[in-house]
Amino acid sequence: MQKRETIETIINNMVTAPEEGRYVYCIADSAESVHLGKIGIDGNEVYTVPYKNICALVHKCNAEPYKSDDPEMVKSWVVSHDRVIETAWERWGTVLPINFDTIIKEVSASSAEQNLAAWLASEYDGLRNVLQRVNNKSEFGIQISWDPKGVAQQIIRTNTEIQKMESEIASESKGLAYMHRQKIEGLLKQEMESSADAYFREFFGRIKQLVDEIKIEKTKKAENGLQMILNVACLVERDKCQELGQALDSINNIDNLSVRFIGPWPPYSFVSRG
Amino acid sequence: MTVNIDEKNLKQGVLGLVMALVEIIRDALKLQAIRRMEGGHLTEEEIERLGEALMDLDIAIEQIKEQQGVAETVKSVRDGLDDIVDDVINGMLNPEKWSEQAEEAEQAEQVVQRC
Repeated sequence: MQKRETIETIINNMVTAPEEGRYVYCIADSAESVHLGKIGIDGNEVYTVPYKNICALVHKCNAEPYKSDDPEMVKSWVVSHDRVIETAWERWGTVLPINFDTIIKEVSASSAEQNLAAWLASEYDGLRNVLQRVNNKSEFGIQISWDPKGVAQQIIRTNTEIQKMESEIASESKGLAYMHRQKIEGLLKQEMESSADAYFREFFGRIKQLVDEIKIEKTKKAENGLQMILNVACLVERDKCQELGQALDSINNIDNLSVRFIGPWPPYSFVSRG
Repeated sequence: MTVNIDEKNLKQGVLGLVMALVEIIRDALKLQAIRRMEGGHLTEEEIERLGEALMDLDIAIEQIKEQQGVAETVKSVRDGLDDIVDDVINGMLNPEKWSEQAEEAEQAEQVVQRC
């Protein structure tokens, strides 16, 4: 993220006069000068501005950020933004997505396009490096969840201490039984936590071996009463995808576990490291 | 800025917060009770009384939540608190996070230097 923000800061600093601008979608690994049609935000014509062997995908716009109070409007802009990035990604294989609403403005003596070229020139080495790093790789999201009820039952079935307490409870008076049940719940929680921890380490290790880069994301609430125990974004070489898929299949086959493997996407999460 | 206060919303919010706190205190009491029971400091009769009192408290809390329709609010307050605590503890205990944070700090430094 830092890099993207920096790009924006540079761009904002470069500009003073709010007149003509170029909306930038992404940087692609190509020297091609080409018009891609009216696929941009609000149906704008998207075309490339090449510099050496890279290019920026842009459309002509006023040097005003896209802003709206209507969430649907903003959503449709962001969708268009992503779609352009995906089109570029399909065409050239390697792209660096740029944040939504990144606009290069003209400054009195130099046009927006000249400013863009100057920026590409000054950032060329860094951009080239990142393009190299994500070359021929895609981003995937992997989320592993478990069914907490199923896992709890499994633990109860195999844990002799819990079983012993369970059988004693049956003959106990109300208050005593309640206290012992609380104790069992505490034990169960501990067991589940250490089990989730062990799974995380095991799966993370397995996935890490098959991917180029891996980023731990925050676990979110999973649907249907499931609980997410691992959420990662990874950068995967194209010919490793199948092997990764197979590894995830074998995890998905474990009782009470389910895996979501989503993508491929352009490397959104992996373009910030220079 | 105008703050719109809906009387019902306010009541739900405050009551939800109060009930969340009551639950947290109850959980702390439970932990203490279990600890004392395991430490062998309590007679069987004392455990029985403690168990019944806690059970009554459980029932009362559930009833209030249901009658006042604040179960969801209580849950979201507690989930929110859990998330905060998780973040802090995760940052302290998870070695993966340390390297990640170190890496992020390093990147930030590099970016700053480049500019």
